[in-house]
Amino acid sequence: MNQIEPGVQYNYVYDEDEYMIQEEEWDRDLLLDPAWEKQQRKTFTAWCNSHLRKAGTQIENIEEDFRNGLKLMLLLEVISGERLPKPDRGKMRFHKIANVNKALDYIASKGVKLVSIGAEGERCEIVDGNVKMTLGMIWTIILRFAIQDISVEETSAKEGLLLWCQRKTAPYRNVNIQNFHTSWKDGLGLCALIHRHRPDLIDYSKLNKDDPIGNINLAMEIAEKHLDIPKMLDAEDIVNTPKPDERAIMTYVSCFYHAFAGAEQAETAANRICKVLAVNQENERLMEEYERLASELLEWIRRTIPWLENRTPEKTMQAMQKKLEDFRDYRRKHKPPKVQEKCQLEINFNTLQTKLRISNRPAFMPSEGKMVSDIAGAWQRLEQAEKGYEEWLLNEIRRLERLEHLAEKFRQKASTHETWAYGKEQILLQKDYESASLTEVRALLRKHEAFESDLAAHQDRVEQIAAIAQELNELDYHDAVNVNDRCQKICDQWDRLGTLTQKRREALERMEKLLETIDQLHLEFAKRAAPFNNWMEGAMEDLQDMFIVHSIEEIQSLITAHEQFKATLPEADGERQSIMAIQNEVEKVIQSYNIRISSSNPYSTVTMDELRTKWDKVKQLVPIRDQSLQEELARQHANERLRRQFAAQANAIGPWIQNKMEEIARSSIQITGALEDQMNQLKQYEHNIINYKNNIDKLEGDHQLIQEALVFDNKHTNYTMEHIRVGWELLLTTIARTINEVETQILTRDAKGITQEQMNEFRASFNHFDRRKNGLMDHEDFRACLISMGYDLGEAEFARIMTLVDPNGQGTVTFQSFIDFMTRETADTDTAEQVIASFRILASDKPYILAEELRRELPPDQAQYCIKRMPAYSGPGSVPGALDYAAFSSALYGESDL
Amino acid sequence: MDSFKVVLEGPAPWGFRLQGGKDFNVPLSISRLTPGGKAAQAGVAVGDWVLSIDGENAGSLTHIEAQNKIRACGERLSLGLSRAQPVQSK
Repeated sequence: MNQIEPGVQYNYVYDEDEYMIQEEEWDRDLLLDPAWEKQQRKTFTAWCNSHLRKAGTQIENIEEDFRNGLKLMLLLEVISGERLPKPDRGKMRFHKIANVNKALDYIASKGVKLVSIGAEGERCEIVDGNVKMTLGMIWTIILRFAIQDISVEETSAKEGLLLWCQRKTAPYRNVNIQNFHTSWKDGLGLCALIHRHRPDLIDYSKLNKDDPIGNINLAMEIAEKHLDIPKMLDAEDIVNTPKPDERAIMTYVSCFYHAFAGAEQAETAANRICKVLAVNQENERLMEEYERLASELLEWIRRTIPWLENRTPEKTMQAMQKKLEDFRDYRRKHKPPKVQEKCQLEINFNTLQTKLRISNRPAFMPSEGKMVSDIAGAWQRLEQAEKGYEEWLLNEIRRLERLEHLAEKFRQKASTHETWAYGKEQILLQKDYESASLTEVRALLRKHEAFESDLAAHQDRVEQIAAIAQELNELDYHDAVNVNDRCQKICDQWDRLGTLTQKRREALERMEKLLETIDQLHLEFAKRAAPFNNWMEGAMEDLQDMFIVHSIEEIQSLITAHEQFKATLPEADGERQSIMAIQNEVEKVIQSYNIRISSSNPYSTVTMDELRTKWDKVKQLVPIRDQSLQEELARQHANERLRRQFAAQANAIGPWIQNKMEEIARSSIQITGALEDQMNQLKQYEHNIINYKNNIDKLEGDHQLIQEALVFDNKHTNYTMEHIRVGWELLLTTIARTINEVETQILTRDAKGITQEQMNEFRASFNHFDRRKNGLMDHEDFRACLISMGYDLGEAEFARIMTLVDPNGQGTVTFQSFIDFMTRETADTDTAEQVIASFRILASDKPYILAEELRRELPPDQAQYCIKRMPAYSGPGSVPGALDYAAFSSALYGESDL
Repeated sequence: MDSFKVVLEGPAPWGFRLQGGKDFNVPLSISRLTPGGKAAQAGVAVGDWVLSIDGENAGSLTHIEAQNKIRACGERLSLGLSRAQPVQSK
């Protein structure tokens, strides 16, 4: 059952069995619709003829012409294209039946179920010319060979054909094919079919539905003329029959199918062929293309590789740079397209192979040498060459760069060095040291040292220069010759410099040594000459020294010193000579080495001449000194004698005076005896003393001599003249004073009426409290004395008393003062009050006195004295010319009340 | 040294006894004070040595000269005194 999808225009539910059943019904009736028979007859005849004409034969009458089966077999052969078994050529009935059988067998062999004419009987019918049977059989054939194999979109046979019609007429609105009978009545179907495939044959727009006969006829006309489809239908029959014969329509339409589909098939076939051919052609083209591209590429590679393998070096960097540029161009501009090409080639190859594979062709085998591996290989070599080339380029450039750099470096260094070295030889050849001093030579040596270290520093550089030159040679520098020349010059010069430096050093050092030696000698000379000079100067000074001696020992020691000095003279002379020797040495050195310097000694201002003169002078002075010393010695001896003389005397006088002093002192202290006795004794002493004066004078004389002789000391006596003098004077004064004292005592005694016993008592007291027994009391002694006498004194009173007894503040109380004090208390003395009373009497009881009163009462002198000295009276009742006698009186006693 | 000055307001009497003088070979001193007198009130003491009278050095004055000088100061007496004995000028 062929199920049709809904939506398809036609409802087509036929199947083979079903219309075969329908035919069976007709067979049973042995009736054929006369219209149909007519139509079928026409159509089938035409159809058979359309085939048979290929075999060169026709049929006129369909039921007659197939009776012998020959044309039937022929028809089958023509339709199928296959050979049937050989027909029987007999005329007998069984021959005919056999042929028909062969035909029907063939049909059966093609898978057709011949139900209605399978039996013998029915075949006989055909032989017998049964129309219905024959038509049925033809229809079977037509069905089997023209319709059965129709396949349209997986729909086959009748349905397929119908589908085909529907498909092809779908665009035509006024055509609606649903079946194989009524749908064709208006003829538009056929026209549409024609127009669909061959629009050039029919102008469809002009067709009219209302002219079916015309349409059909037109279609048949055209089909016959242009499509080689004989007319198989009768237009009037089709139109006039309500339901045209389906089989006839189907037959005729199948011819259209075959014509167009065939054409289509042919077209498809042609297309397929064209496609295949096109594919082939395309493939061939691709292959050719491939071959061509491959050739080109390989050619290009072949050309390029040598260029890349070229290793001729350039001389300059520029040239190499240019090469590098070319290479860059190559890489940037020339190669990429080639890469592209290669890529394309590969793509093409792959595409080609794929195409071939999918179109079921054998794989493409490129010609010899153009295989993928060849290309790949060549390409690889190219890239290797490239890399190698690039490397080489860069190396070369580096090399050239280095060379140029080195060459430049060489030039620079050489220039620098040459500049430095310029003039150095001249400097080294100088002989400036020949007339230089030691310091100058040393300075030159320093400079030379500096130069040497500079030289050493440059050693490196020279070596560097040589090394660079070497490298340039190794690297094959194009101008290596010049470089080597220059290098050689430099090296030669270097060697020379080295030698000269050495020579100069030696010369300088030698010079230095000599000058040092001289310097040493000078120094030695200076060191010794200076002290020697000083010594001589000192000696001269000493020898001329003015001496003052005061004793024999002194002069003796000077003489001894002088002798000692004389003893040193030989040694000094030796020293002098060695010093001179030094100087001579200097002279010699200068002479023998021909040194051009002055021989003056920078360390010493002392010259040889100086030394010589001084020495002579010293020698001169020695004897002179001898003499002076001797003279002095004599003088000293004389002095000594004087001293002794003086001493002898003084030693006598001194004690004598001392003695006398003691005697006097003793006498003044003694208690016993009268003052007169004391006095006499003292007088006696005085007399002695006066007599003794001669001795003093004599001593003075000796003393003068001594002084004239400028003798200032005398160890023979402890007494100096001054001592003696002082002593003598003291003696004189002492005796006078003592005498005076005694006189005073006598006076005092007489004045105060002190008896001798009292005096002796006073004396005893005094002596007792004179602790130190020197004829004087100090304040403490006196105080003790007073206390012992019963005086109870306060400080103030004692002080007052002290002022009285020791008015001069000497801290001592003399015997006289003591007596005065002691007797004051008891004596009747005039006091200030008494004097004032006396004046008052003269002044007639006035508190003041007048000048005339004084003159009247007193002797003129005293009166004048008083007038002169009395102050003016300024008390109450004062008158002009009043004199204050009270103040005056108290003043006389050293006391005044104010 | 402890020398000091006193200024006594006049008029006289000043209330002290003067002792000494160059002619006595003893320096001028105060030998007595009137109790409650001007000198005593001013702080003068017995035994004080007189160094100056009215600003003038008293070491070279005789007794009478010193006396006169003191008398000459009517309204005001200025004395230079010392507790320690002055060095005598010879």
